[in-house]
Amino acid sequence: MGTRFVGKKVNKVDARQKVTGEAKYTEDLVNDFADLLHIRVLRAPHPHAYLREINVEPAREVAGVVEVFTAADFPELTEFGLIIKDQPVLVGIDQKMRYLGDALALVVAETDAAALRGRDRIELEIEELEVVDNPLRSMEQDCIQIHEDHEIEVTHYLDPEMCCDNILSDNYLDKADVKKGFAEADLIVEREYQTQFVEQLPLQVEKGIADYDEESEEIIIWAASQWLHDTQADIAQAMGVTKDKIRIKQPVIGGAFGKKEDISVHIHLALAARELKRPVQLIYNREESMIAQSKRHPQIIRHKTGVSSEGKLTAWQTEMIMDTGAYASSGPAVVRNAMFHCTGPYQAPNVRAACYAVYTNNTYCGAMRGFGATQMAFAYDSQMDVIARELGMDPADFRMRNAYQPGSTTPGGEKLELGVNVRETIAEARRLSSWREGDNNA
Amino acid sequence: MATIMFGFGYGEGFPDHSIASVEPVGENRILIRTSAADVGQGIQTVAVQIASEVLKLDPEYFEIVEGDTHTTQNAGSSSATRQTYFTGQAVKEAAEDLLGNIYHHASQEFTTNHPEMAIKDGRIFSHVNSEDEMTIWELRDRLADRGIELKGRGTFFPRTYKPDPETGQSERVYVGYSYHTQVVEVVVDTVTGQVTVEKAYSAIDAGKAINPAGVEGQVEGGTAQGLGMALMEEQVIEKGRTLNPDMSRYLVPTALDVPEVETVIVENEDTDGPFGAKGIGEPAMIATAPAIINAIYDAIGVRFYRLPVTPEKIKAALEQN
Repeated sequence: MGTRFVGKKVNKVDARQKVTGEAKYTEDLVNDFADLLHIRVLRAPHPHAYLREINVEPAREVAGVVEVFTAADFPELTEFGLIIKDQPVLVGIDQKMRYLGDALALVVAETDAAALRGRDRIELEIEELEVVDNPLRSMEQDCIQIHEDHEIEVTHYLDPEMCCDNILSDNYLDKADVKKGFAEADLIVEREYQTQFVEQLPLQVEKGIADYDEESEEIIIWAASQWLHDTQADIAQAMGVTKDKIRIKQPVIGGAFGKKEDISVHIHLALAARELKRPVQLIYNREESMIAQSKRHPQIIRHKTGVSSEGKLTAWQTEMIMDTGAYASSGPAVVRNAMFHCTGPYQAPNVRAACYAVYTNNTYCGAMRGFGATQMAFAYDSQMDVIARELGMDPADFRMRNAYQPGSTTPGGEKLELGVNVRETIAEARRLSSWREGDNNA
Repeated sequence: MATIMFGFGYGEGFPDHSIASVEPVGENRILIRTSAADVGQGIQTVAVQIASEVLKLDPEYFEIVEGDTHTTQNAGSSSATRQTYFTGQAVKEAAEDLLGNIYHHASQEFTTNHPEMAIKDGRIFSHVNSEDEMTIWELRDRLADRGIELKGRGTFFPRTYKPDPETGQSERVYVGYSYHTQVVEVVVDTVTGQVTVEKAYSAIDAGKAINPAGVEGQVEGGTAQGLGMALMEEQVIEKGRTLNPDMSRYLVPTALDVPEVETVIVENEDTDGPFGAKGIGEPAMIATAPAIINAIYDAIGVRFYRLPVTPEKIKAALEQN
């Protein structure tokens, strides 16, 4: 196709402003406001505990502190979350903190130093509970329930032997006849894989500014979001206002990788700006960002794969348990994305999978580049390599022999027709890397 | 070596779409309205290239509105490898709508037929009568006098279907799939357990690379991020408490750790997206961790099942053998 601009190495349209420093990130916008107040958030001192008492009076006495907010100041607030609304804006008295990032109070002051001093003087009384830090523990019958005040909806396909108290989401695949597939196999390989908590680590941590327009009753928020209109809707529902009252203006974004899908500074900023009728800023440091905002889900993945002696997959069975941490965030979608990618780009005629997202008291997990499919790819492509070695086949040949082609069906039963170019990528990577000779048309 | 696939878009019947508009503004500018977040991946550049192509106008003429919930409509998230495909196509349709409106109204001004007209570098002209010529912005002003707004709008809203809850089966789970094969060369120091990734070779299926430099950049960045996941990155959380919440103890690859990456882009222009493009943002990273783990096995004959594979783990495994 003859094109003038598409397919060309056109310079990035924002390159100049980023290189010269003209680009306006949130921290640059701070200078546009005189009179900006500073917020610091008091976060949970324990990963799983009831908040029994909170005394903010000592914080109010600190010079420069303008106001201290707790849940008691906002009885109208509801919980927020990307898919399931299970995360409190502020933990109230006799409510639970479920991880170290939960917010207990907002200290608003004329300077950041005063806000910090105030924050450190707040007195708490908590009742500590068992800290569940492992999804396998979380699934045991005698494990404490983390979200006993939320209705957890498991499907009625859940194994009745399993304790559902801490299961956020259970999901299943059943394509053709996996039993028959294993019966046809000459070799069956079973392996367990595990992945870790990964931090998205965008250069820019969570930052924002908010202002209140008394005339229109509009709250204006300057803070990065990967999805402006969804963030707007979640803020509005949590605060019980209509969406037109929440206006988000997107500053230049300093990286995200999934971490800026979730609400972070937004609602706290909006509340403080509206109550105090002054512009406010809230800027996390790296430590706060790593503890309070989402991680990549650690997954325990068990693959059982059947293959014929000619190197053709006959059956693939996957069980996956994923630590979703204290709140749902993207978890219910991540677990399903992982599941639908359980065989990767390889044609398995018979597939079964059961995949679970499980609450713990760890920092909650959410979106990160690959959204569950990254962890699953480590597992399925390691599995393919293991099988190739056991069969004594060249790993590239083995991949080529099982890679999708037009007409193949995915674990979800979808027939692939358009753009099934996986074999071409294998052939090209092989050519590029001078991989040992093999049969590309196997 | 590792070969991966990635279904892009939200999929599973979730109503996934992007809305964009394109309009002439000021003396000689074209404004693209989209709320798609540019997190560094380059969706703004992609949007400009696509609108440029449709309107046959240099990218210099274009600007993109700053993201604002009150002046833009929903573009969906910058995630799920979806913006080039969704917002790219919405912008393409908006630019085509604008072009159609330009032809419609200019043909009335020129009293000519559409096939007898053309547009180039912001000028609309007639092949029949060389005096019939005006710029897009002149046309906009003339129409404004008559209360007509010159603007193009586009929404891209492809369908997927909700899978059965018991079997996960669905006619269409995702809007499309991208593929990526990566081969890496590693050197394992059997004394220190240190792994050096010396070279990476990637073949990535992009459908059509709207901006080949952007695709290469994604593969390079993705390789760095995948290398971190394979060999060093781990937020250690014990009893709910993070032990390494800072960059001195949470290790990520530096420029010295990242190999040279050679990339081939497979382009068959075979999707319903703009110019046949697929998304590649996530697939660009996914292949690296398994490719490295498989290469380590090839080098030392030890299979690792748990990430990250740090020098300590390699040393311990070698000592055990």
